[in-house]
Order: sequence, then C-alpha cells, then structure tokens
Amino acid sequence: MRRAIGLAALTLLSAIPLGVAAQWQGYPTPRIPRTADGKVNLSAPAPKTADGQPDLNGLWLASRAVFDLRLAVKEIPLSPEGKRIFDERQATQSKDDPSARCLPTGLPVRALLRTPFKIVQGPGTTAILYESSTRFRQVLTDGRPLPKEIDWPAWQGFSIGRWDTDTFVITTSGFNGKAWLDQAGHPSSDAMTITERFRRRDFGHMDMEMIIDDRKMYTRPWSINAEFILQADTELLEFICEENERDSAGFRR
Amino acid sequence: MDKLLSALVAVALSTAVVAGHHSFAAEYNANDQVTLVGTITKVEWTNPHTWFFIDVKGPEGQVVNWAIEGGAPTVLYREGWKPTSLKVGDQVTVTIALAKDKSRKQGNAYLVKLPDGRCVFAGSSGPGGAATDNCTPGRR
Repeated sequence: MRRAIGLAALTLLSAIPLGVAAQWQGYPTPRIPRTADGKVNLSAPAPKTADGQPDLNGLWLASRAVFDLRLAVKEIPLSPEGKRIFDERQATQSKDDPSARCLPTGLPVRALLRTPFKIVQGPGTTAILYESSTRFRQVLTDGRPLPKEIDWPAWQGFSIGRWDTDTFVITTSGFNGKAWLDQAGHPSSDAMTITERFRRRDFGHMDMEMIIDDRKMYTRPWSINAEFILQADTELLEFICEENERDSAGFRR
Repeated sequence: MDKLLSALVAVALSTAVVAGHHSFAAEYNANDQVTLVGTITKVEWTNPHTWFFIDVKGPEGQVVNWAIEGGAPTVLYREGWKPTSLKVGDQVTVTIALAKDKSRKQGNAYLVKLPDGRCVFAGSSGPGGAATDNCTPGRR
C-alpha cells in the first residue's frame, strides 16, 4: 500500500508544479541529518535531549495505516460483552462510530491514521499533537501517579509518562469508554488501561507497542505493534473536522 | 464497461484500503463503481473530507449534479493538491464508488482525470483508494 501511495504521490508531484514552501509544506526542516542528495537520513542515530534522554520530538506517521485492528493483530480476545458490542457494530457497518461525527477516535486507530502526530517533549509534560481533528493529549512526566479515583472519566483518559531506559512508557486510565478503538468497532470501557511504549530506533524510525488492558471488553491484555516514520519538510496542518461533516447523513446499513 | 473503466476497477480491486475518518462501508459500496464525465460546479476544500460537485449529462440530455467525496485535505495537500487544483468549469472524468443510498447522487472518488489527461489520486477512503499512476492506460 505504501508503494501504491508513493507511486500516486510521485505521479502528482511530477504532474502538478509545486509552489515553493506553501505555508509550512516543503520548507526544509532545519537541523536534521541529511544525505548528500538532501534527503533526510532516516537511519542516522537517534538524537538525545540536552539532559541526555532519548529525544522523541518530531512529526511522526504510521508506516502502515490501519483502520481495522484485525488487520494488525492476530487475535483480539473479545469478552462475551465485548463481542456482543463488536458484532452489533459490524452488523450496522459502523454507522454509529463517534469519530464519523467528529467525536474522538480511540487511541489505537488515532495513532495509525494517514495524518501525522507531533511529539513535543518538554519538562514535566510531553504533548502529543494529533493532526486528525486537531486534537492533543498531555502526558505528565512530573512524577505524579495516576489519579486513584476518577470522578470525571474522559474520552482520552489521563496519562502519565516515564522512561524505561530508552523507551518512553505512557500509562493512561480514566477513560469514559465512549471511544471506539478502531473503525471496525472494537469497544472500550471505563475499566481500560492503555500502556504505550515508544522507542526511537534511529533518527527516522520509532516503534510502538500499545497494550490494551480492559477486562470488561477483553479476556486478557493484548498488544498492537506499529512503526512510525519521521516526517520532514512538513508540519501539522489544520484539520477542523466539524467544518463540513457531510457523511453521517448518508450512512446506511 | 469500457476499457478505461475496466482498468480502473482492476487497479481499485488490487490495492488495499487507504483511509478515512469514517467507516467507508456505512456509506459506500466499493463493489458498485461507475466512471462519470462531467463539469465541476462547486469545490469544497474542507475537513474532514474534500468534496466537489459535477454536472453530468445523461443520454437524454438531462443534467444531474453529483456530489463526489475525496480524501482529507491535509492528506491531499501533502501529495501536491492545492485548494485550487480543481476549478469550477473543469471537465473531469472520475471513478467513484456509489453511495448505498441510491436516492443520493453521490460517490467516493478513487481517481480524477483532468482535461489535459493528468490523473490524480483523490484520496478515497474506500478499498482501492490507493490508486496507481496507470489510470491512463499505456501511460506511466
């Protein structure tokens, strides 16, 4: 698929004369390793921050877009309740997917869209800025624990982060259970904890393992593995989903 | 089906699912495709998806306005589209997956062929959305 998109993009690029750095698109990202021909050297060593931690800053895009987690995970261990909900959503062609109405997507599919996300690693907070629907998450890294009691569950939950040697580990709980994990309709509940493990393998590649632990909807924890590629010479673009959402009116079983 | 359409459908069916912010299958039938030739009457360069509208002349001369859905504008933009890439008055050839609701004259675009023969990927969210560059047979 990447090849096909690459080909399509190539056709476009050769067919349509590009303007010079319209908005942020095409402006060369400064201070990144490049090969002699000016291309980004994706296999250069992973950078470190001033305080010696691995540096995850940058714009990242899944190497393979996934909208149905069954295409990325061998077996998803749905519980009887999880299966009931999933089957119903399948039978109705996912017409009730909140994200189709511009409400938040679940964290797994959001990481795997064809739109990138940006990691901004600051002291005490790492922000994840998703281009899709112009959404953000704050991952607190100031040493606090997760809240013991959640009196106001949230679409995106509450996230803390820490370093496990060179892997950034995000733990998130306090979900409200409204988001679908993917467009196929894999459910979530308020019992869910998501653990994300990000490791920047080299300059241009970051691996992620995302562990879903939701004993209401699934019988055991299960993992999604993905790879992200650093996106250079572009930046986040505005994506206001509510602008012109025409699709939901046409949803049919 | 003419040769062009066969080629397009073959391309569409051989490639993988691409993208979309919503369930493609809730709205469109990937196996129900047509190729339309029409004149652009309106372009909406908008989130979450782009749209354009074309007047298509039927065999009896009657004109029907079709709504054509394309990819997310940020995705298309990075692939070289501009908000002005399609203009009102352009004659285009598009291959679309038809809406399930047949009362809607609506489709999800795979490929758009411009008057000068250039083919552009429309960023469809459906199966086969990842078009290749052989939409003009024989031209690579």
